Amino acid sequence: MNSGIHVSLKAETIGHIFGFVVTNSLLMTWIVTALLIIFAFFFGRNLKMIPGKLQAAFEWLFEGAFGYISETLESDKLAKRFFPLLATIFLFVLVANELEFFPGVGSIGIFEGGVLTPFLRAPAADLNLTLALAFISFFTIEITGIATLGGLKYASKFVNLRSPVGFAVGLIEIISNLGRIISFSFRLFGNIFAGEILIMVAGYFLPYLLPAPLIGFEMFIGIVQALVFAMLTLFFIKLAIVDPHESH
Amino acid sequence: MQALLAAFGISGSLLLAQAVNFGILMVALTYLLYKPVMKTLDARQKKVAQGVIDAERAAEKLATADVEAATLVTKAEGEADGIVAGARETATAERVRILKEAEARAASVAVDAEARAKETAAKSLRESEKEVARLAILAAEKVLMKEHSKHA
Repeated sequence: MNSGIHVSLKAETIGHIFGFVVTNSLLMTWIVTALLIIFAFFFGRNLKMIPGKLQAAFEWLFEGAFGYISETLESDKLAKRFFPLLATIFLFVLVANELEFFPGVGSIGIFEGGVLTPFLRAPAADLNLTLALAFISFFTIEITGIATLGGLKYASKFVNLRSPVGFAVGLIEIISNLGRIISFSFRLFGNIFAGEILIMVAGYFLPYLLPAPLIGFEMFIGIVQALVFAMLTLFFIKLAIVDPHESH
Repeated sequence: MQALLAAFGISGSLLLAQAVNFGILMVALTYLLYKPVMKTLDARQKKVAQGVIDAERAAEKLATADVEAATLVTKAEGEADGIVAGARETATAERVRILKEAEARAASVAVDAEARAKETAAKSLRESEKEVARLAILAAEKVLMKEHSKHA
């Protein structure tokens, strides 16, 4: 069978700016960023004391999210500190995941040798983005733990020489903490990339019937993944600031 | 490892670019969206809290006003009762005074009338005496004239 499906695991290079490689996922990331900033600019300037429907909905989400973060971290101060990071992760991943289903994304590009190189690719379908977000989350979690508990106390979570069991638990902690980088990045990447492949394959076999419900499902997956990434970051921050002796 | 990185297209510069992009987005959203929304929510919460305090104060004032109004009404009623009682006393005293004056006047009128009646009676008596005397003189003249004519 002459395959009409071309799958690229990595984002394709679509150009260079001053020698810097620009991939289709990076371009899409810039578009998502620009859209969010434009929305924030106009929305933030038009806030009213008596809100309209959009403002009321956004404020409801905002207050709900802030309340949940505050409840989880058991501190308003910490909630205020981490809200921008967690909300930005959620909004960015959400918008990036949803925009990938817009017409033109992944379908408009350059044909070279019978292969389409799209101008735009879902940002989360590029491991560079998910890995970068994973590193940001990872370092935020670890730095927060050290800043809150102090270096020695935080290290005692990982290095425990009091007993063989404690030592083994410490090692498992180190591995699980480092494993977060991989789980964070590959979970998001895997879900979004697999969704793209699924829709592509479905579109190849049943182009007028199957993709629509799958697109709906993948849009839902996009929301879930945005939520999962933000909430896991929140929970790991919470775990990092808990006193190791209290947690046992 | 190198093959894995190459397969996924992972590069340091792209990782950094994505991280910087996310950082810029976070800062922008913080200043353009999160802070203004938080500020609006805080301002609204303060306004609502102030509204509740104002409403409580108004309710307290209303309750105080009711008590004050009741006190004022009671005081006014007391004062009105006092005024009415005073007016009644004054009216009674005035009535007594007027009555006494009227009685004194009536007595005085009666005395005057009696004196006048006595004077009139005395005057009548004097005039009657004069008339009798005049009649007696006339009768005496007549008798004298008759006697005279007889003798003449």
